[in-house]
Amino acid sequence: MSAALPADLRGGRGERTFGLLRELRRRPEMVLALVIVGFLLFTALFPGALTDLSPTDVDVAGALQPPSAAHWFGTDDVGRDVFARVIYGTRVTLSIVAGSLAISAVLGGLAGLVAGYFGRWPDMVAARGVDVILSFPPIILGVVITGVLGTGITNLVMALAIVYLPLFFRIARAGAIAEAGRTYVEAARSLGVPEWQILVRHVLRNVLPLILVQYMILFPLALQIEAALGFLGLGIQPPTPDWGAILEQSKNYLLFAPWMSVFPGLFIVLAASGVILLGRSVQRIVDAA
Amino acid sequence: MGGHLLRRLLAAFVTALLSSLAVFLLVRAVPGDIVAQMLGQAGGDPATEQALRGFFGLDRPVWQQYLAWLGQVLQGDLGTSWTQGLPVAGIVGQAFAVTLELGLLTLIVATAIGVPMGLVAGIHEGRLLDNVIQGINILGLAAPVFWIGLMLLIGASALIGWSPPFMYSSPGQDLWQNLQILLLPILSLGLLQAVAYSQFVRQSVVSALQQDYVRTAIAKGLPQRKVFFKHILRNILIPLVTFMGLILVQILGGVVVIESLFALPGLGRLLLTSIQNRDLPVVQGGLLLVVGVALSLNILIDMLYQYLDPRMRR
Repeated sequence: MSAALPADLRGGRGERTFGLLRELRRRPEMVLALVIVGFLLFTALFPGALTDLSPTDVDVAGALQPPSAAHWFGTDDVGRDVFARVIYGTRVTLSIVAGSLAISAVLGGLAGLVAGYFGRWPDMVAARGVDVILSFPPIILGVVITGVLGTGITNLVMALAIVYLPLFFRIARAGAIAEAGRTYVEAARSLGVPEWQILVRHVLRNVLPLILVQYMILFPLALQIEAALGFLGLGIQPPTPDWGAILEQSKNYLLFAPWMSVFPGLFIVLAASGVILLGRSVQRIVDAA
Repeated sequence: MGGHLLRRLLAAFVTALLSSLAVFLLVRAVPGDIVAQMLGQAGGDPATEQALRGFFGLDRPVWQQYLAWLGQVLQGDLGTSWTQGLPVAGIVGQAFAVTLELGLLTLIVATAIGVPMGLVAGIHEGRLLDNVIQGINILGLAAPVFWIGLMLLIGASALIGWSPPFMYSSPGQDLWQNLQILLLPILSLGLLQAVAYSQFVRQSVVSALQQDYVRTAIAKGLPQRKVFFKHILRNILIPLVTFMGLILVQILGGVVVIESLFALPGLGRLLLTSIQNRDLPVVQGGLLLVVGVALSLNILIDMLYQYLDPRMRR
């Protein structure tokens, strides 16, 4: 019977922890996702804990060595340790993706919220802009923006943020439209609550889960575009370790030194699949709620 | 339906117009135009520079440049390439032919692999086979397309000692060599899109299985095969066809990286090189084509959907 009670009626902290454990045991997918994401977060925060080697120290004499006990992922064309580069690259790559998507989510989400809630001309104008961005395949837009503006972190982040803005806009707009018609909004309005307060306190709160799920859905896609731009030489430039940039360097040594391209790619796959799994689990929870 | 189509066409036209304006402003807003590139580090004397700017029309205000370009485009003239001196329409068209062949073959491969995968997974929902296929799907969604290409190159060379030919040849010149060079690009793009297909088809089958008409069909004792082909497959066919269009748009984007990796002279690589060379007429023409294709595909999907599903016809 107690299982059916809401969590906060179910007694003390200890029991709640057990509840959480039980919950996780029923969701192996989520456990796997949390392990992967946790590992990558740890790697991004404390790369030094995983390797003593430097990601940028050049050692020409030891170039293009295959994986060994000393160099787990081998060395690259100028003798840098590939494992160290991949580990240190985790922070670079993931923070760029996470940061640009966060910018996208805030700007797109707010614009969508306002457009959906108030409608009329701001909605019309924003919708046109969104259509324009969506008329390009994402990667092509990324290539055009970074190609024209030039390489560098700022341009890369801007490109990724622009590419995904419309998708946050749309989801927030749809959510705001749905919420604006609810009775609680009408009730708040009739009580004299100012419009912006309804928007922030009530509508935003209900749209936020949608934006969160969207963020996790888009993360793996944005990661792939970030890597692709790096691979095309339009993203982060060497010697800064970035997964896509490492792959760009590797393509001239594809057959002589396959380890240079295998391992960074595996980390991209690991990160993307971790977030995909996490997104699916969260989506299930949001859907059930 | 005619009015609806007209409205959609008009909206697409406006979007294309705005997109071309955005591209035009973007490519001209940054320092370092083609004249600066031609004159190089040393820089020419101001008179030469001015003459060259005048030649390319870069000395006029941007809005005048845009209107002049737009006027030409509306008459069917995409202008002349600044680096090759050839008509942009020809250059872009030639590149698009390569991309189109790649895209269509990819679509065939993706459909042939992805649809059966999704059907099998959907029918075995929740069982081992479904979980295995879903695992593959997640890995496929997670892997960057160019990395799959790299792995295929390494794998083909390491396992069977085969590498694609270096020189591109069109299907007209040498079909065999053409297919050889397209094989790995098609596979890398195709595997990726197959996964998207498989996800979509699985979901459609799973929700079809929950429908009342399927339950009735099973309950009245129809053989499984008949339920599958007559009820499930027929009903997921319509969304499947529309999903195909979506996949084509995706492929159109995916080709940029794949074409650079495999040195295919397609639209994606053309865009990349002409952006690097600041060959603005080619960039503008190429992007106009990309946007045009993407928008028309969307309209086509919409029309197809209405045509295939009688309930949508009104």
